Amino acid sequence: MKKYLCLGCGFSYDEARGLPEHGIAPGTAWVDIPDDWVCPDCGTPKSGFEMVEIPYWSRT
Amino acid sequence: MSVSFVLRAGERGYSRLVSTGVNATYVAGHPDGVITRHSSFNFHEYQSGIAGFGSIRVFGDEVFSPGGTGYNMHPHHNFIICAFVLGGALTHVNTLGKVDELLAGDYYVFSAGAGGKHAELNIGQEDARIIYLWVLPNQLLAPPSYLRGRFDAKANADRFACLVGNEPGALPVGQTLKVTRLVTGRNGTPVYRPSPARGVYAFVIEGEARIADTVLGQRDSMALTGEDRIEIAARSGTDLLLVETAL
Repeated sequence: MKKYLCLGCGFSYDEARGLPEHGIAPGTAWVDIPDDWVCPDCGTPKSGFEMVEIPYWSRT
Repeated sequence: MSVSFVLRAGERGYSRLVSTGVNATYVAGHPDGVITRHSSFNFHEYQSGIAGFGSIRVFGDEVFSPGGTGYNMHPHHNFIICAFVLGGALTHVNTLGKVDELLAGDYYVFSAGAGGKHAELNIGQEDARIIYLWVLPNQLLAPPSYLRGRFDAKANADRFACLVGNEPGALPVGQTLKVTRLVTGRNGTPVYRPSPARGVYAFVIEGEARIADTVLGQRDSMALTGEDRIEIAARSGTDLLLVETAL
């Protein structure tokens, strides 16, 4: 399960979490998201996302 | 010594955003207000250049025309966005509840984290000249934060002044990132010493500096890796930014 970051605004997509509020089920792989999908916050195309290996913030 | 790249001023990406037409909702200002943006790294329409360096993804050299020009309120996540005001006045508004006015020498660090919006406006009577730096965070969806600082060029002449990083007087960001500014009042060759295993992106705002046998003029830049000392032969009147990043 990988994470991707929008280079237009920083919006993050996590394959494990999906985006249920935007119709993408948890567990949806990045490759299975349509090529014409765009960032829900800023409209940057899917090709403008970068795969990142950055952990989530934790209080510790 | 290893030079990752040298980027001349004229090789950067260029965007001209007008407050009318398709950009009307994004670009604030009276009709025909203009933002010009020179991008050192791939950003928006500029996609033919260097993707980034270390955790740096955006280094934008921007000018907002007077009369309210800028970016209307828009959302961000995750990126750590720094603005360094070179001239004019920048009004920054964000969803942390901050309304701030920044003048030449002022700068901020806005960590968008789990989500924040901001507007960037020039409500002054002259051009606002700003450098925007975006850096990847080392943790996603952190609580957003905003800090602002001031660089006093006279008090810091001919010395490396740390603006962002874990040094006294600098704005902390809680990760490997250090932004240093050098403004010279005389010719000299100060030596910058990065921490081990870091990369350094050097950008000449004004003047001229020779680094690693490369002469950099106004708005030229270069990236270096594997250095423990960087000699900067700078002319009097040079203004230089150094961004130190994890690789």
